[in-house]
Amino acid sequence: MLLEINDIHKKFGGLVALQGINFSVGYGETLGLMGANGAGKTTLFSLIAGHQEPTLGSIIFEGQKINRMRPDQISALGIARTYQIVRPFRGLSVLENVTTGALYGAHKIRSIKNASKFSREILEDVELKDRAEDLAGSLTLAGFKRLELAKALATGPKIILLDEVMAGLTPREVNEAISIIETCKRKYNLTVVVIEHVMKALMRMCERIVVLHHGEMIAEGTPGQISEDSVVIKAYLGEQN
Amino acid sequence: MKNSLKLVLAVVLCVFLAGVAGFADEYILGIGFTIFMYIALAQSWVVLSGLTGYISLGHVVFFGSGAYVFILIWGLVPVWLGVFCSGIVVGLVSLIVGYPVLRVRGPYFVILSFGLAELVKNLVLINEARMYVSMRPVFGAPALYQLYTAMLLLAIIATGLTYWIRRSRFGAGLRSIREDEEAAETIGVPVAKLKLLAFAISGVIPAMVGAIFIMRSGIFQSGDAFTPIVSFTMVTMAIIGGSDDAPGPFLGVVFLVLLQELLWVNWPEVYMIILGILLLGFVLFIPNGIYGWLSEKYFGNKKNVT
Repeated sequence: MLLEINDIHKKFGGLVALQGINFSVGYGETLGLMGANGAGKTTLFSLIAGHQEPTLGSIIFEGQKINRMRPDQISALGIARTYQIVRPFRGLSVLENVTTGALYGAHKIRSIKNASKFSREILEDVELKDRAEDLAGSLTLAGFKRLELAKALATGPKIILLDEVMAGLTPREVNEAISIIETCKRKYNLTVVVIEHVMKALMRMCERIVVLHHGEMIAEGTPGQISEDSVVIKAYLGEQN
Repeated sequence: MKNSLKLVLAVVLCVFLAGVAGFADEYILGIGFTIFMYIALAQSWVVLSGLTGYISLGHVVFFGSGAYVFILIWGLVPVWLGVFCSGIVVGLVSLIVGYPVLRVRGPYFVILSFGLAELVKNLVLINEARMYVSMRPVFGAPALYQLYTAMLLLAIIATGLTYWIRRSRFGAGLRSIREDEEAAETIGVPVAKLKLLAFAISGVIPAMVGAIFIMRSGIFQSGDAFTPIVSFTMVTMAIIGGSDDAPGPFLGVVFLVLLQELLWVNWPEVYMIILGILLLGFVLFIPNGIYGWLSEKYFGNKKNVT
């Protein structure tokens, strides 16, 4: 297994954000994380990426325990995350944004020239090539989301955690985003964990889905199983009289 | 081609400025000394504050500490070795001091950096008072043309250093910290390490500048060596010139020192007022400074600092 989440608990003071989360992600898999707002999906990403420490439990990446490491050390191991609320380096050009990822991360390309060459290739993959020289702050929302993806890809990850990269996009942009992600996944040999509210996208992309509800894992299975799971339906739609 | 032309021009300029030391009068050498001093200071400030966004309002702490280290070893070691040592000592100490200081961000860092300079000033003052020293004269300092040449050398090194860092992997990391520290860490930038390095590098040259400065003024007094005016002046110069790349501070310093010379003669009381207005105007309307503005207007480069 590439990534193992073992009995993870996270408390913020008295608030239980996550409890008893257990699942693993295999090499090359695309796993979906589903759940209503406040279910704990983003918190789980923060734990994996090292921005927070779990209260209890362990996170194992390629056999190594990572839940006391700093985010930059975790990035160096080959875990990349994107942010739901985008965090571009607004004052730098689009290319510089991506190049920074290539210079650090797991790739650690030493020369600026090679890093920007590699970054241009990634910008082509995410269809932002034309905006390479523009300031990142000048992009549209769809552009920001792609830039998040490009920055993450540039670090040379083995696994990429995508946090709602499609939220707020038009249906057409969603379709483009899905095909970009699928292309990149194949090209860079990635394992993907994706948080998404756009159900159609989740169903199409994922081989397996994990459902969180109020910090607990209530279901795990193929998209087909999940869409018929009575516990999930109850959690989402309430009980039928 | 274009870059090699720039390099040739820069070398010609430096050789010319060095040559001037041979025959120029005291007045010209004095202005040159001041310009080079502030170029060296503002360039060093840019390495930390321009690139990482950790705005230091107390950079005089390096200048004053360098001067103090230098005066303490004055006479014990050869003059230029002393200058070098003061830079190294201050650089090493800032590696330790920087560790806690750089954990504070934004406006809090600004205040802390200012407070740090005042703290060190008063520590030196107390220490001096305990030894019953109110000021330490510097006897037998090298001639002005030698100090001028040394300062020119520091200005060249500082400019080269900023230019090089800005284009390096290290510089890319620093600039990403300025834009969003947490996002930078997420893509693998070891932010704590890079900030600390930038802090120390940013202190070495100002320390040596401080050492050379007291040879020119002929006296060390902690109130003068740690005066906040030096901090404010370097910040103003870097911001007016543009603080994201080496040409910025250079333009800012030349502009302000010449302005100062012009105004000082005719309307000395107007100088501070004009300085304030300029700083306000630049921060509000031309935040990228002269260089940022020029390169956007004439070269179509969308450079940004804020």
